Amino acid sequence: MKKLITLIVNKRAFEVAVEPNRTLAQVLREDLGFLGTKVGCGIGDCGACTVVVDGRPVNSCLVLAVQVNGSEITTIEGVSEGAELHPVQEAFVEYGAIQCGFCTSGMILSAKTLLDRNSNPSEPEIRAALSGNLCRCTGYQKIVEAVHAAAGMMKK
Amino acid sequence: MHLLPKFDYYEPRDIGEACKLLSQLKGSARIIAGGTDLLVNMKKGLLAPRSLVGIGKIPGISEIEPVNGGISIGAHLIIQKLVEFDLIRKKLSVLSRAASVLGSPLVRNRATIGGNIVNARPAADLPPPLIAMGARVRLKSRRQEREVPLDRFFRGPGETVIKPGEILTHIVIDALPPFTGGDYIKLMHRRSLEIAIVAVASRITLDGPDGVIRDGRIILSSVAPKAIRAVRAEKALIGERPSEGLFEHAGQIAATECTPIDDIRGGAGYRCSMVGVLTKRTLSGALREAKGQ
Ligand SMILES: Cc1cc2nc3c(=O)[nH]c(=O)nc-3n(C[C@H](O)[C@H](O)[C@H](O)COP(=O)(O)OP(=O)(O)OC[C@H]3O[C@@H](n4cnc5c(N)ncnc54)[C@H](O)[C@@H]3O)c2cc1C
Ligand code: FES
Ligand code: FES
Repeated sequence: MKKLITLIVNKRAFEVAVEPNRTLAQVLREDLGFLGTKVGCGIGDCGACTVVVDGRPVNSCLVLAVQVNGSEITTIEGVSEGAELHPVQEAFVEYGAIQCGFCTSGMILSAKTLLDRNSNPSEPEIRAALSGNLCRCTGYQKIVEAVHAAAGMMKK
Repeated sequence: MHLLPKFDYYEPRDIGEACKLLSQLKGSARIIAGGTDLLVNMKKGLLAPRSLVGIGKIPGISEIEPVNGGISIGAHLIIQKLVEFDLIRKKLSVLSRAASVLGSPLVRNRATIGGNIVNARPAADLPPPLIAMGARVRLKSRRQEREVPLDRFFRGPGETVIKPGEILTHIVIDALPPFTGGDYIKLMHRRSLEIAIVAVASRITLDGPDGVIRDGRIILSSVAPKAIRAVRAEKALIGERPSEGLFEHAGQIAATECTPIDDIRGGAGYRCSMVGVLTKRTLSGALREAKGQ
């Protein structure tokens, strides 16, 4: 039976009727149209589906939408301010930290959450914070450099 | 794409309601906590419960609280909080160390300590340090509440003494004696998103800052159907003065007490050798902590 739930996505409240077996990733993509959230493995291994739930980045492919009824969710669509990119996004573009882009939404959300908590992370801290997000293209180095640069930009 | 089978979803608002619901639904229901184990199994088609009971809205089972010098941990606490909370970092650093190498940051933000215990995987990261520190689990059902020492909770892979209808509500660790220290090392092929090839948790209690060993525990993980105590190696420690040589000896004994299998992560022979090495290293780490260094 469908349940009526409220999700606050990128500061906007959505009421949706969902079957309990639908994951947060499915509801965000298919019901609400937030297609920036990607689904790779579907079982917690790749991090492409990363979204921030109540301040913590999680694998949305392993969360039931009904479990996060009432929660505040940030997807990649909620990171920029209108047309103005977030420093992490700007740095990813500038440092070539994006190739195919499939991991990018998740990478940026994990990186942004790190920088919200720790404005001056060390390289090991950056690598640890991103260790649930796999990238098959960049070799990670440019991503780590971008996050480091974003930290610098955010301090200014 | 992996899709989940259909099921009914219930979300009891307190523990009484949850117990009642589980007893009404009998065997057809499963508890869902973080879902990081259960939903993977359901997506892979290994499980298809008719109903899921979400325990996330039940008050009082997601907190860390000091009790009589010891600590009570709610079963629904997410694993990342074991890494973050000062009380755990200071009083049970061995547990926060184990929590910090479980899965990935994304998994740790959903996965719960209770789920890690009840799923009873032979390589689960939290049972070894918890057994080393003498943890007990509190189980509640409609009729009764009982406490079981964690080292008597597991039966084998995926099997525990928990009965249908019982909910794990708290993990309780009594005040530890002075001069107690612990350590946990998980050997992995990479640093994140990896199940242990071998893991060892050790704990040492000295009878004084430079005293002999009063209590010693060595828990081996990923080398038997469940986490096991290296009982003979533990015995070799008691009453002895700690030294490199003693720890080496204990490691050699521990390596004979495990029964690993060959699998993609490592061969049985390699695993036994690594039990020896990690036992020695974790005992040395536990000793440093016991001496407050
Ligand atoms: C990508 C990935 C990596 C992982 N890496 C690791 C790792 O390195 N180390 C490791 O140990 N594990 C790992 N896991 C497994 C899993 O994340 C953990 O075991 C986690 O702690 C399970 O907790 P959960 O809350 O998600 O459990 P759930 O999936 O919600 O539940 C697991 C089982 O426990 C039962 N259960 C849960 N809570 C209770 C309760 N309070 N009372 C009674 N029964 C209960 C459920 O019914 C279910 O059968 C990994 C999983 C994924 C997806
Ligand atoms: S799609 Fe969720 S972790 Fe891969
Ligand atoms: S850019 Fe292609 S997976 Fe990261």
